[in-house]
Amino acid sequence: MHMLRNYLKIAFRNLWRHRVFSFINIMGLTVGMTACLLIFLYVRFEWSYDRFHTKADRIYRIVADIKTPTETIPADRPAWAVPSHVQLDFSEVEAFTRVLPDNVLFRKGDVKFTELKTLWVDSTFFNIFSLKLLKGDPHTALREPFSVVLSESAAKKYFGKEDPMGQTILATGEAIPAIVTGVMQDMPQNTQVNGDILLSMSSITLKWAKGIDDQWSNYSPYAYILLKPGADPKAMEKRFPAFLEKWAGKEMRQSQMFVTLKLEQLKEVYLHSSRGQLAEGSQLGNIRNVYIFSIIAAFILIIACINFVNLTTARATERAREVGIRKVAGAVKTQLARQFIGESVVICFIAFLLTLGLSALLLPSFNHLAGKTISEGIFTNSSLLLLLLGAGMVIGLLAGIYPAFVLAAFKPIEVLKGRFATGSKGSVLRKGLVISQFAISTALIIGTIIVYTQMSYMRNRSLGFNKDQVLVVDTDGDKKTSALQETIAHLPGVKASSSSGSVPGSEHQGAYSELENVKGDLQVTNLDLYFVDFDYIPLYNIQMAAGRPFDPKFKTDSSQAMILNEAAVRMLGYHSPDQAVGKRFKQWGHEGKIIGVIKDFHYKSLQQPIKPLSMRMEWPRFKLISVKISPDNLKRTISAIEKEFKTAIPNRPFSYYFLDEYFNRQYQNEERFGKLFLNFAILAIFISCLGLLGLASYSTMQRTREIGIRKVMGASVSNIINLLSKEFLKLVAISFFIAAPLAWYFMHKWLNDFAYRTSISWWIFAAAGILALLIAVFTISFQAFKAAMSNPVKALRTE
Amino acid sequence: MIKIRDLEKIYRTEEVETVALNKISIDVKEGEFVAIMGPSGCGKSTLLNILGLLDDPDNGSFLFNNIEVAHFNERKRAELRKHNIGFVFQSFNLIDELTVFENVELPLIYTGVKSGERKKRVEEVLDKMQIMHRRNHYPQQLSGGQQQRVAVARAVVNNPKLILADEPTGNLDSSNGNEVMSLLTDLNEQGTTIIMVTHSEHDARYSHRIIRMLDGQTVLENIMV
Repeated sequence: MHMLRNYLKIAFRNLWRHRVFSFINIMGLTVGMTACLLIFLYVRFEWSYDRFHTKADRIYRIVADIKTPTETIPADRPAWAVPSHVQLDFSEVEAFTRVLPDNVLFRKGDVKFTELKTLWVDSTFFNIFSLKLLKGDPHTALREPFSVVLSESAAKKYFGKEDPMGQTILATGEAIPAIVTGVMQDMPQNTQVNGDILLSMSSITLKWAKGIDDQWSNYSPYAYILLKPGADPKAMEKRFPAFLEKWAGKEMRQSQMFVTLKLEQLKEVYLHSSRGQLAEGSQLGNIRNVYIFSIIAAFILIIACINFVNLTTARATERAREVGIRKVAGAVKTQLARQFIGESVVICFIAFLLTLGLSALLLPSFNHLAGKTISEGIFTNSSLLLLLLGAGMVIGLLAGIYPAFVLAAFKPIEVLKGRFATGSKGSVLRKGLVISQFAISTALIIGTIIVYTQMSYMRNRSLGFNKDQVLVVDTDGDKKTSALQETIAHLPGVKASSSSGSVPGSEHQGAYSELENVKGDLQVTNLDLYFVDFDYIPLYNIQMAAGRPFDPKFKTDSSQAMILNEAAVRMLGYHSPDQAVGKRFKQWGHEGKIIGVIKDFHYKSLQQPIKPLSMRMEWPRFKLISVKISPDNLKRTISAIEKEFKTAIPNRPFSYYFLDEYFNRQYQNEERFGKLFLNFAILAIFISCLGLLGLASYSTMQRTREIGIRKVMGASVSNIINLLSKEFLKLVAISFFIAAPLAWYFMHKWLNDFAYRTSISWWIFAAAGILALLIAVFTISFQAFKAAMSNPVKALRTE
Repeated sequence: MIKIRDLEKIYRTEEVETVALNKISIDVKEGEFVAIMGPSGCGKSTLLNILGLLDDPDNGSFLFNNIEVAHFNERKRAELRKHNIGFVFQSFNLIDELTVFENVELPLIYTGVKSGERKKRVEEVLDKMQIMHRRNHYPQQLSGGQQQRVAVARAVVNNPKLILADEPTGNLDSSNGNEVMSLLTDLNEQGTTIIMVTHSEHDARYSHRIIRMLDGQTVLENIMV
């Protein structure tokens, strides 16, 4: 005990005596541990998706690969009929629920909102997912048509303090009365099956679309099944082909769309599925990012530990005398090793405390940066704190072991006689550590530059249409959409307007289509489908490659005309767009001719290649009005549009967005990724610089006498700076050659995820190398300059 | 107490082989005060280190209290050392981060003496060395003479049978030097064996016997009267 007290005493006094180095050491560790902790929280959150469901191990999502004559479409959901029939034929299935996400207008008195997170679900929903129903019966709540279950916050929004149970709320544009049959706890963030309001699926299957339960070619809802304990999903998958043949074999052959069903475990979907997900857009998880950040966290921690080891062993010379004295006073090697390990544990403990404070401080901004609440607070979770403390102590042990044994192994007589010199072995190790630190930092710099180059590439690449100054008004498919557009078209400040079913970046239909190919056959394919009006192509300035756009002069255009993009024309085997014009099509009950071919434009994000697209006119399908407006008097124009909207469609809330912002929202994930990457790269560089600063000052201190002698012999200030900097810059240079190929390899892989991507050009490496070098020069030169300017006589007196 | 026979210590580097001790044989009886003198590089410090069990010889025999210790391992040497030998160095070798009291206390901690007993013994010895009033100061706040007195206090606090002093007055002025020498003489008179390496004929005169060394061997022994 007294020995321990003695160690602690020495440890604290040592820390205080060498305040600057203690600061560098503790600061480096703190920053490293903080970065790690935040990343750990992020990774833990990403991993936690849908794992909280008590039956998560048994919940599977049914997905489908749809093979058409031209391609295989990996769909994230099966046909309507699949889940119920699977339960019928497979005894392994305990329950199923379909989940159909929708934007639904709700009204209660004057309170009206378009609820973006509405889910139509089967009555078994609460049996499968562990979401708590606060009021109502989980087994029956969603049984009857037009039953609605509200989240706590939704209930508060519409009913205030009133009890909503049994009350009526008006749902959809048709204002259908729905009865509130349950109130559920707000869903946690870490689930893809995320809704604020649940509506009973029977509203669709029993009222609106009777018979849809037996449709084998209509794909709308997601399908989740709960398997009985011990059931084997792989074995089920093997029996799916026979199952499909039994129920839909004939239909598949007729349509030439062959389906393969697969099962994805719910827990794996968020991070691992390459298909679409219920949680859309920025909510999508990506295992790659989780890995990248885990690696970055490990790197940062390694850098921080390297600093620790480096600074401690560099200071060995100073501590050597103490070791000698202690040995002479009777200490044995293990006692000394214990003392030094103890010291490093103390330092880690201080760093741990600071880490807690710093993380708590940074967590809100980190949540903001990550775009979700990855953690409510550092101090709310005691097991996390214990884990952290343990991790801190282990880091202290690991980082302390090497220096401890180096120090404890000193020969007392040698060090006491001052015959001690820093071993060349130690300095090789230190150099190696500096090289690895800077290699990691340089690789991160290269990575950051590439991420940002790709971002700017995506933002600035010509998309093939004009997205500037386009305002999009959402009418939710109201019948008065076209009439409203007519009115808006005549408002001052409006240059052009157009009604459509989709705009670039928004959802769109996928349609079973038959098109005349180069051989003259009607080729079956699944085509992306935009419903547009006459003004759409000119408003967006989409270029024609052949034929003509839709034209009011031609009466048949509104029902018997289709426009394709170049990708579709290529798919059909035509060598030029002109060849496709005049060819036949069949799609969703319509037949007619292809009247024109538009040039390919990016209607989805640049992660995805441009797919075959068809455009047709069908007024009832219009739900968006694109308005090209003049940049002057923007506010006045928007409020004029709002006024017209409220007059035409009084029971819907006015909602609009600017297309350029909307389109770029698809890059939110990448942008977040870029920002996080940048922040952690800066951290890594900062810690590396702390280390370099510490080492440079030690190296300078050790060479004080040499510098003095050199100055007496006539060396200039620049000679000395040169002498001191060269040694370290060499290391930084070496680290560049390690970092460059590694960074190239990983970033090349990262870029491969983008269908359209920037090239990794040489200047990125040059810039990163120069930047790393400059940072290093800046760090070292301060110490070198101080040493070079010092009085040589003073330096020699230290002898 | 000490009996060494044909002791050899050779330092080797890749190119040079330096014989520090060349088959040296010495006896020191309990209660003796022996001075070792000789020019720089004659091997006297090497000898002192081996006598102090800080270093091991390459060949020869070393009996310490009739126990052969020449080939003891580090742990055994440390064990024997902390109970039997105290050291005084030219450069004091106090730990800067510890106070006077804590520096003197150090050997007691490593020998596992209980806290109350430690306090008593440290205070006793500080009192004897007349630096009790400086007990809470740090080494850098003391004069050279005071520092060496602390070092002597630390060397004797464990009541060692043998004190090895390596030029104990080398860094001190003559009055402080004399003071330290009389401290050592007092200790010797109370029964502690002292072996001192020195360059100073004046200091050597405090001893009973002077062993003169050259090139790793004894060349002369003077008995002081």
